[in-house]
Amino acid sequence: MNGLIQLLNSHGIPQDFVIKAAFYFIATLTLVFALFVVLSRHIFRAAVYLAVVLTCIACVYLFLDAEFLAVVQVLIYVGAIVVLFIFTVMLTADIDSGTFAGTLRRMSVAAVASLAIFFILFKVINMVTAWKTAVPAGVSINLSQLGKSLMTGYALPFEVISLVSLAALVGALVIGKAEKR
Amino acid sequence: MVNLAHLIPVFPFAAFVVNILFGRRVKKFSAIVSISASVVSLCLSIYTLVCFLKGQGSYSLFEWLIFGGVSLNIGVIVDPLTCMMLVVVTTIGTLIQIYSIGYMKGDTRFSRFFAYMSLFMGSMLGLLLADNFVMLYIFWEGVGLCSYLLISFWFERPSAAKAGMKAFITTRIGDTGLLIGIFILIFSAHTVYFSELGNLGAGPLFTAAALLIFCGAVGKSAQFPLHVWLPDAMEGPTPVSALIHAATMVAAGVYLVARCFVLFSSHGAALITVAYIGGITAFFAATIAVVNNDIKRILAYSTISQLGFMMMGLGVGGYSAGVFHLMTHAFFKALLFLCAGSVIYSIGTQDIQKMGGVFRKMKITGLTLVIASLAISGIPPFAGFWSKDEILSEILKNGHPFLFVLATVTSLLTAFYMFRLVFLVLFGKSRSEIHPHENSAVMTIPLSILAVFAIFIGLVGSPFMNNAFQNFIYPHKVESMKPDYAVMGFSTLLAVLGIGVSYLLYIVKINIVPQNVRKVFVPLYNLVYNKYYVDEIYAFLFIRPTMRLARLAFKFDLGVIDGTVNGVAKLTVILSKIAAWIDRYIVDGAVNMTAKIVGIFSLVLRRTQTGYIQTYLLIAFFGLVIIIFVKLIIGG
Amino acid sequence: MIPESHFLMLGAALFSIGVFGVFTRRNAIGILMSIELILNAANINLITFSKFSASPDGLGQIFALFVIAIAAASAVVGLCLVISIYRNSKTILVNKINLMKW
Repeated sequence: MNGLIQLLNSHGIPQDFVIKAAFYFIATLTLVFALFVVLSRHIFRAAVYLAVVLTCIACVYLFLDAEFLAVVQVLIYVGAIVVLFIFTVMLTADIDSGTFAGTLRRMSVAAVASLAIFFILFKVINMVTAWKTAVPAGVSINLSQLGKSLMTGYALPFEVISLVSLAALVGALVIGKAEKR
Repeated sequence: MVNLAHLIPVFPFAAFVVNILFGRRVKKFSAIVSISASVVSLCLSIYTLVCFLKGQGSYSLFEWLIFGGVSLNIGVIVDPLTCMMLVVVTTIGTLIQIYSIGYMKGDTRFSRFFAYMSLFMGSMLGLLLADNFVMLYIFWEGVGLCSYLLISFWFERPSAAKAGMKAFITTRIGDTGLLIGIFILIFSAHTVYFSELGNLGAGPLFTAAALLIFCGAVGKSAQFPLHVWLPDAMEGPTPVSALIHAATMVAAGVYLVARCFVLFSSHGAALITVAYIGGITAFFAATIAVVNNDIKRILAYSTISQLGFMMMGLGVGGYSAGVFHLMTHAFFKALLFLCAGSVIYSIGTQDIQKMGGVFRKMKITGLTLVIASLAISGIPPFAGFWSKDEILSEILKNGHPFLFVLATVTSLLTAFYMFRLVFLVLFGKSRSEIHPHENSAVMTIPLSILAVFAIFIGLVGSPFMNNAFQNFIYPHKVESMKPDYAVMGFSTLLAVLGIGVSYLLYIVKINIVPQNVRKVFVPLYNLVYNKYYVDEIYAFLFIRPTMRLARLAFKFDLGVIDGTVNGVAKLTVILSKIAAWIDRYIVDGAVNMTAKIVGIFSLVLRRTQTGYIQTYLLIAFFGLVIIIFVKLIIGG
Repeated sequence: MIPESHFLMLGAALFSIGVFGVFTRRNAIGILMSIELILNAANINLITFSKFSASPDGLGQIFALFVIAIAAASAVVGLCLVISIYRNSKTILVNKINLMKW
């Protein structure tokens, strides 16, 4: 983000406006496509929309100076998980399984639930007045630091994660095994 | 000398117990048990008499109760009156029980008869031996009970049952007076002993007590106005009539007055009342006997009349005269009744108009009957003459002219009606269908023995033996007893006159009264024949209101008490119906409603178990939201 | 430039959309996709806090990394389950898979 800011500065473009406009655009895009994911009838299209949402979120990560994580997001989420979703959609051939769930009643109840949680979160966010607008000075995170802390300070969670991945792998194998005839 | 007097009543009581408990098994033997007990008592009585003559007196046995400031000892009185009465009662009792073996032969309740007879003997002897009012009263009630049991012995006959009740209730009225008199003595004089009656002194309270005690005697001895039970008591078997209602129990009243003579003689008003009631009764009963046709009832009224004589004798102050007549009367009245029983047993009817010419077939019975009738009429030298004559001379000596007239007229009537009975029953043409025949020895031998007594017993009080009896009975008399020849002659004349008129009317059958005069007497005849309507008057005055009260009480019991019980039952039914309603609608309703509520809830709650994961998730999520919401609002 | 609260608001909105999707979609895969949305919203929050915090240790980013890993594992297992269910009952519509109903 800092590099982008410097680039813009060198060309004399007001950085505030541009960055803000870009952020709001990306945010809107995220939300819109998320809605599409949730509301679309065709499951395949939903998968594609999911990919778009995930990419937008990667862009948001860029705004947050988390370049590594943005890359990881694209690689893992879009590159592997969405592909997995598409595989499964293909394998379960209910592509046009028609309308999404049901009834207006269920939808309205679910809407109430989601609006409620949004309202709560909104209230909580507004209750705290000391939100920061700018990054505190002297704070910068770089990749080597991340890697070092991953290997030393947070080595345990790292190992546990690998075990979890192993478990998931084995589980998927077991569950997905075709039954013997 | 050993004190054995208190054992005298024990043997008859033991015989009663044996006969009641074992009588059913040893039917014929029960008579022997009773009679042997009686004989033992007789021997003991004679022994007691001998002991008394040798100087023994009353003695006490043990202390029983303390009440009202009086200490009650159970004791035995041994004095001339008691000794004489003991011998008389046991002798006559034994003879009558022997006679009953023949009279009651074949009766289904043979042994029970002898049991009751023994109970009576025991009670009577106890009464004679009692030395205080309380013991006397106990045995007084005992003889009353036996009288009731024996009168209604053949209780299948409604007339016998009614007669028993009548006897008991009528004597009860007298007994109540006696009881009140005893209470007066207890609470004002603090004594119940006969020996202390002399220490009381005069006073209206004691006069009242004496009169009340005399009430008891009036009831028991069937004096006017409580005489109504004795004629009806003839419903019982004839030996019962002989023993109880002629010789002994009815004499208990006279005995009581004699026993309390000290109390009566110190209260002149009471004494004169005794005399007048005795006199009125004697005359009144004799008039009824003149026109009666039932052999036993004639004898019953005769008993009432003779008891009146005795009361008269005592009432004018002639203690020994009254007691003398008591003794002689016991023998010849018992004999009269046994003869009547003998005749009834063989002929089968009690109506003298239906009898006649019995003498030809029943010689012994006839002869003894004549002897007894001569005795009661007062023909010398038979027993009744001496005693009746004593009474007449006492009345005259003590200056009661009205009573003397009554007594002489009564004697005349007595002779008349007794020989009316003799002539109608024994002589003349036989008017009955059944031919009589003489009875067995077991019945005729007692008759003969009693006849001997009837002839000779009077002599112990006659001038020939220097009035030994009177001196024995009443040793306090200081003046010598000169025989009053005028009275003797006069009374004999009356007796002969009575017999003569009776002979003329019933044997020769002349009509001394012309027809139209006779018509005038018809209402009088009806009055006397119906016993002066005394029973009807009593029924109207006392019996009907009492029955009405009883019926009212019965209706009350039926309506109110039974009604209450039924009402309670109905209330219970109503309560139970309410309880059933409550149980069915409220309790069951509550239970059902609970079930329905559960059903409704389940209908609603069933929706949550959809099986869809999304539903479950939704619910969980809502829970979370609500928790956070609440924390937000409250926690702030 | 961009205040922290805006990022958080974005995260909140994405979260509620994801919640809506979990309760609404009939297709099992659709539900899993909505779950991914939720996880991503959480990630946004984490990274925002990491960026705006005073200490320079990048804890939020590390946490977000782990979340991505976990999300991947869960998606894998979930999808395997979906395939298995499809094999058994020939349908992946959750309103038809209601064997747990009484």
